[in-house]
Amino acid sequence: MEGPNDWMDAPHSTGTSIMAAEFDNGVIIGADSRSTTGAYIANRVADKLTRITDRIYCCRSGSAADTQAIADIVSYHLEFHGMELGGDPLVEIGANVFKELCYNYRDSLMAGILVAGWDKKKGGQIYSIPIGGMCVRQPVSIGGSGSSYVYGYVDANFKPNMTQEECVKFVTNTLALAMSRDGSSGGVVRLGIITEKGIERRVVLGNELPKFYEN
Amino acid sequence: MSILAYNGGAMVAMKGENCVSIAADRRFGIQAQTVATNFEKIFEMGPQLYVGLPGLATDTQTVMEKLRFRKNLYELKENRSISPKVFSAMVSHMLYEKRFGPFFVEPVIAGLDPKTYEPFICNMDLIGCINQPKDFVVGGTASAQLYGMCEALWEPNLGPDDLFEITSQALINAFDRDAMSGWGATVYIIEKDKVTIRNLKTRMD
Amino acid sequence: MSVLCPEIPAPGFSFDNCRRNVMLENKGLVLPKATKTGTTIVGIIYKDGVILGADTRATEDTTVADKNCEKIHYIAPNMYCCGAGTAADTEMTTQMISSQLELHRLYTGRVVRVATANQLLKQYLFRYQGYVGAALVLGGVDTTGSHLYCIFPHGSSDQLHYTTMGSGSLAAMAVFESRWKPDMEEAEGVQLVRDAIAAGIFNDLGSGSNVDICIIRKGGNVDYKRTYDEANKKGQKQNSYKYQKGTTAVLTTKVVDVEEVTVRRIETEEMDTA
Repeated sequence: MEGPNDWMDAPHSTGTSIMAAEFDNGVIIGADSRSTTGAYIANRVADKLTRITDRIYCCRSGSAADTQAIADIVSYHLEFHGMELGGDPLVEIGANVFKELCYNYRDSLMAGILVAGWDKKKGGQIYSIPIGGMCVRQPVSIGGSGSSYVYGYVDANFKPNMTQEECVKFVTNTLALAMSRDGSSGGVVRLGIITEKGIERRVVLGNELPKFYEN
Repeated sequence: MSILAYNGGAMVAMKGENCVSIAADRRFGIQAQTVATNFEKIFEMGPQLYVGLPGLATDTQTVMEKLRFRKNLYELKENRSISPKVFSAMVSHMLYEKRFGPFFVEPVIAGLDPKTYEPFICNMDLIGCINQPKDFVVGGTASAQLYGMCEALWEPNLGPDDLFEITSQALINAFDRDAMSGWGATVYIIEKDKVTIRNLKTRMD
Repeated sequence: MSVLCPEIPAPGFSFDNCRRNVMLENKGLVLPKATKTGTTIVGIIYKDGVILGADTRATEDTTVADKNCEKIHYIAPNMYCCGAGTAADTEMTTQMISSQLELHRLYTGRVVRVATANQLLKQYLFRYQGYVGAALVLGGVDTTGSHLYCIFPHGSSDQLHYTTMGSGSLAAMAVFESRWKPDMEEAEGVQLVRDAIAAGIFNDLGSGSNVDICIIRKGGNVDYKRTYDEANKKGQKQNSYKYQKGTTAVLTTKVVDVEEVTVRRIETEEMDTA
């Protein structure tokens, strides 16, 4: 049964739109919910916002297997680190553990990750770790195959120190635009608002997504 | 050409009423050239347990020796004869160990349980996936033809004599339509009190 | 290493034959294909637990290798797992994880969690980078409720309320997408799973034969219905094709008598200590 059944052999990947943005109180992370094997949607309600610690999350793009394995390993390391530290690990440290794995195994991994979270030292932070294992802090960052369609929108509309609801609106709009243009992104928009208090999860269903010019 | 078809060979095993059969052709060839017509691919692994190893002839013999070694070790350790079910699990795990560099054999196992005399047949693919149906199993280059023959001829509750005729005719008529196998055949009928081994007269072309 | 005292072989996969096999392949011989279960496997969560379903066809290229194979594998008393892909891989992987979980259960004295099985399976599959071709639907109940996971050969997994896998997954998913709803009754759920598998059996070439269903209820009560529905009955034979005795020409006959095993009791003798 070879040939048209590419979903049997194609690796399970999250051809994705992911995003994270700082606001005055912390960070907002967001992602679409489509995961594909070839042209088949393996999961239309996937959760690409993965917990690392209570206040550090990551947005995964690339191979689902690779990013899930990396997230599990980083989560394991930071759990230990948190115990030894006697407190919450810094986002910067989390991002560096991610970077270390992504860089050392850059030839065998397909992973583009955004690490976002809140800590006492630097507040809300976002670190982008694209394929290859670079690590850079950005006030706003987008990733995945859908991101190429919305760089202009982000550059035009992001403002530092937005309020929470302003920022939620901005992230939802960006992802909705990316999902509408990118074939391998879609489904619902999943959001996470990370502040000092922890995370608040939200979902914007497919029929509730903001509408723009459509034709 | 597939590696499994390099030396040719056809094999079949069937369940009957309190008996089982296992049969194979006797050709050993190298691609289209027939080298020998007395090549045995069925091996005794106990008084009422036989294993057939169709496939690449070098692996037929290597795997047979490895199995005999492991089976002997088991029987020395446990001080009892191996049951067909345990033996097939052993074969399966031995083949799966070589998952990423397999032996090119597709074993067929037939026998009676040493305690209950329950008939047992099974076959597996080259990496040890066991298939244990209630009627018959086939292997080798003529397997497509054998499937057709057996599907038509087999019926439940065959006695040893009927089982012999049906197994033999299924095999002969299958390998007559396969260039890679034939040149004589051996049929084993395994019963509670005896094993009958017959060499068949077949076409030699 | 001596012939009389062979080395104990290393555990795990052996790559002894690889170089030889590459040589054979380079000579133009085609490496044979392993048995695949071009399959329809499904799972749903319903009100009181999980229902798993599978067809029963195994294929070797385009030949049906097994008309009634078992694709719902035992993992633990409260957990079962449907397997699609390379048949030997699904069989061996589930057996291995099952034994690890049994040891874990003995060690901790607790009912093993479905999340643990999921983690062990995905880590094992990830280690082999997709070369162990097992696509799994893992379902079970534990102290935290009913769980259903869909595990891909490369080692990624999703937790879902209803899922399908294998070559018939599209046909089965079409049934689920139109009819699945939360908190279904058992009878309704079983019917839905049967229909999903039947959709695979009749619309996908890689799937066929019968429907197997496994119901795992909260509290650990399991109802494994092997051949829940014989979707394809074989026609009744109208005639017997027996051959007359003596049809086959025999050259030589050898009869080996199988001796009845007798146990001889040997009386112990007193040792001469004089």
